[in-house]
Amino acid sequence: MKTIDYTKYRLKSKEDLDIALSGISGIFIVHCMKCYKEFQVVDEPECRDFQTYLKEKGIKFAGCIDQDFLCNNYLTEKKLKELPSDIETVGVISCGLGIQFVAQSLKDKRVIALADSMPQSGNATSIVGYHGIALEKEKCAACGECYLNITGGICPIVECAKGLVNGPCGGAKKGKCEIDPDTDCAWEKIYLRLKEQGRKIAEKIEIRDYGKFKFEEKKGLSVLSQAIRSESFYGGVHPLERKEDTQSIAIANFPDPQEVVIFLSQHVGSPAEVLVKVGDEVKIGQKIAKSTGLVSSSVHSSVSGRVISLKKRIHPLLLKSLPAIIIENDGLDEIDPSAKPISDWQSMSKESLAELLQDKGIVGLGGAMFPTHVKFSPPKTIDILIINGCECEPYLNADNRVMIEYYEQVGKGVEIVKKLLGVENVIVGIEDNKPEALENMRKLSNVKVESLKTKYPQGAEKMLIKKVLNREVPKGGLPLDVGVVVSNVSTIFAIYQAIFEGLPLIQRVITISGDDVVRSGNYLAKIGTPLNDIVKFCFKGSKETIFNDYHVKMGGPMMGIDQVALDSSVIKGTTGFTFLKKSATEPSEERACIKCGRCVDVCPVELEPLYYAYYGQKKMWKETIKHNIADCIECGSCEYICSSKIALLSLIKQAKKNAKKWI
Amino acid sequence: MLITKLKNKEELSALFEKRPFVIKCFGCKEVYFPENEVEALLKENETKITGVVRLDYLCREEFSKLYMEKYGLKIKDSGSVIVFSCGVGVQVIAKLCPEKGVFAGCDTYYLDGFQGLSVQNVNCEQCGECYLNYTGGICPITACSKSLLNGQCGGAKNGKCEVSPEMDCGWELIYKRLKGLKIEETMKGSKVLLRNYKRVIDEKKKYDYSD
Repeated sequence: MKTIDYTKYRLKSKEDLDIALSGISGIFIVHCMKCYKEFQVVDEPECRDFQTYLKEKGIKFAGCIDQDFLCNNYLTEKKLKELPSDIETVGVISCGLGIQFVAQSLKDKRVIALADSMPQSGNATSIVGYHGIALEKEKCAACGECYLNITGGICPIVECAKGLVNGPCGGAKKGKCEIDPDTDCAWEKIYLRLKEQGRKIAEKIEIRDYGKFKFEEKKGLSVLSQAIRSESFYGGVHPLERKEDTQSIAIANFPDPQEVVIFLSQHVGSPAEVLVKVGDEVKIGQKIAKSTGLVSSSVHSSVSGRVISLKKRIHPLLLKSLPAIIIENDGLDEIDPSAKPISDWQSMSKESLAELLQDKGIVGLGGAMFPTHVKFSPPKTIDILIINGCECEPYLNADNRVMIEYYEQVGKGVEIVKKLLGVENVIVGIEDNKPEALENMRKLSNVKVESLKTKYPQGAEKMLIKKVLNREVPKGGLPLDVGVVVSNVSTIFAIYQAIFEGLPLIQRVITISGDDVVRSGNYLAKIGTPLNDIVKFCFKGSKETIFNDYHVKMGGPMMGIDQVALDSSVIKGTTGFTFLKKSATEPSEERACIKCGRCVDVCPVELEPLYYAYYGQKKMWKETIKHNIADCIECGSCEYICSSKIALLSLIKQAKKNAKKWI
Repeated sequence: MLITKLKNKEELSALFEKRPFVIKCFGCKEVYFPENEVEALLKENETKITGVVRLDYLCREEFSKLYMEKYGLKIKDSGSVIVFSCGVGVQVIAKLCPEKGVFAGCDTYYLDGFQGLSVQNVNCEQCGECYLNYTGGICPITACSKSLLNGQCGGAKNGKCEVSPEMDCGWELIYKRLKGLKIEETMKGSKVLLRNYKRVIDEKKKYDYSD
């Protein structure tokens, strides 16, 4: 594909620079480093060229800020704070937007434009229109009254040199424009196109209404758009939610599986150690593997029956072959005597309560599966517990339904956590697209409920803490560095069940939803329920070609893990399964970046994901560390917005893995 | 920044009479696109359309081609194609299937800030001869409704433009900015600026890329 360089600025000519810099003895430079064109080099040469010019003229070079996408005013303003205070004159090499932003934020300084903004490569913006986001030749003048319907899809405003809307001027010779003999006559093209389609040129006289888009309207939309973008936190996206498919469906029991596949690794940390052998009879809630160290958690049987094998299966999160215990369900549902309520938890010490949670196999149910007993024994003082009920991931409603149906139980669970952490303040953050959950949770007297604007990834810990408490978790830090522990609402429900019902973590609520799903809904599923059973029960498409035609994601479309085998199963961190039909344009690791800057615009942790694509494709993993890849929360916003459809998330994961030894 | 709005009802209902296949681009994601209105309209005309595809970045020909291949047969069987996107997207599709009537369901408007990026509160028209050095970093071409280069027209009242009382007078802003910098005197007797419209045409020729 031939692409075009749309870089909008170019250094002024020497003559123009002479005029602009007359009488100036020293200058600090702000340089925009990125603009539309294929991402081939990291550097833009203008700044170096200008330094040579300064040397020739004997003007002092006081320093320089290199900023990618100066037109991103939020990040630009932040970066300008690094400007030394004794600087009087600032020169800007950028397009007109960048220069105006710098002048706006440095009102007391002399800001000098060192570049002209050029409509390059046949895209004379002010004369014949704007290109779309891609580097293509088609242009649109945004006239507000699209004429394409009467011209067979060829724009007379952009393509006719005179912008005529009522037919040719008569000056064309042999199909070429009289203004430029290299250009085709647009009206001749329109005539031929319409003829081919058997259509007539419209007879009505068109009059262009230049005043159609009123300033007030434009301003209103502009304010609205900027307000939505900056809601709650910097960056983020608004993907199609599709929550309405399952949000009002009550939690139902998923049919009991014939056999369950229970992985030993269902938590961050070392895998649990097997306590049973093939042929053993087990009961519901019986511990079948024990934790092996502090950061580890126990695993329990979710059915009663017989252990039929200890085999490796494809783990749904780690996507590699890992040991699992496979149990045949005898359907008798016998419960292990160890699974009984703990009535005296209030008199227990913090330590023994934490131990109990470890023994009951409680881990974070939001997806990360961090052992809860470790999280709730923080080495620092905590003053606030935030309960995460955002569930910002599209399609999923598991947490939502738990809050709607089991809010009272969650309220009781909160008491246990308050004791564990020694905190009084508990805040529940819920996105405003869950009115029922908000209403029910507000009935609880021991928590404060915050309604948050719906924006992905509002549920990421850092975003949530920033929004709810206005505290900023330091780069590379944890919530407890700012005195906060964040816990998923379903985890609190699991803690309630462990203590008040004595039930270890053997089941959880999952959402099954997506394309060609027949029984979409929210289900209480046994840990270990094979994906095969779920597909059989809910999916109407062809099972044989499922992985070719669909993405089967454990989780939602943004952060969900693409499944590769039907023999994996529900684990403690399974929030749901989402079936998504593959589109004609799937993200690829190879596609070229055009530096549109949108990934920078949406990254909630203020990173520059385009570098991960650039260095990732070249396998220069070490370079990604310079661009703070360790801070990436893998929310997938960059991949979602990427105008080149680069598989950024996959490149980021590879980069993190490969760059580990240097971090 | 290109944004779109639905065309008026009469024009739209005529488009649905030709058994259309519908392509809707929610394109420049995170930017104004009347997705809900389009949804409602399609629902109303459900029985008249042969198929719908929702995609993004229709302006990228490489991607549009893949979609045209995938839905080619369906489009062939349809009477026409309606595209809900900016003018760029409609033209790309029209180019890819010249034998079919391709129609625009939206009108395209422009908000400040460059195309594709986020909406901004300042704008750059790429005139090719940046005037910001004379005006304290406020662009007279985009901040003045008349794009005057040599001072205000005199029509402003209380700092507001006579074209729209919602709009600030660009030249008053410039004056205030220069005064803040204590260089407002430079406005006096400065040379008369003439915009060279030809400059961008010359530049365009230098960088002309042919397919």
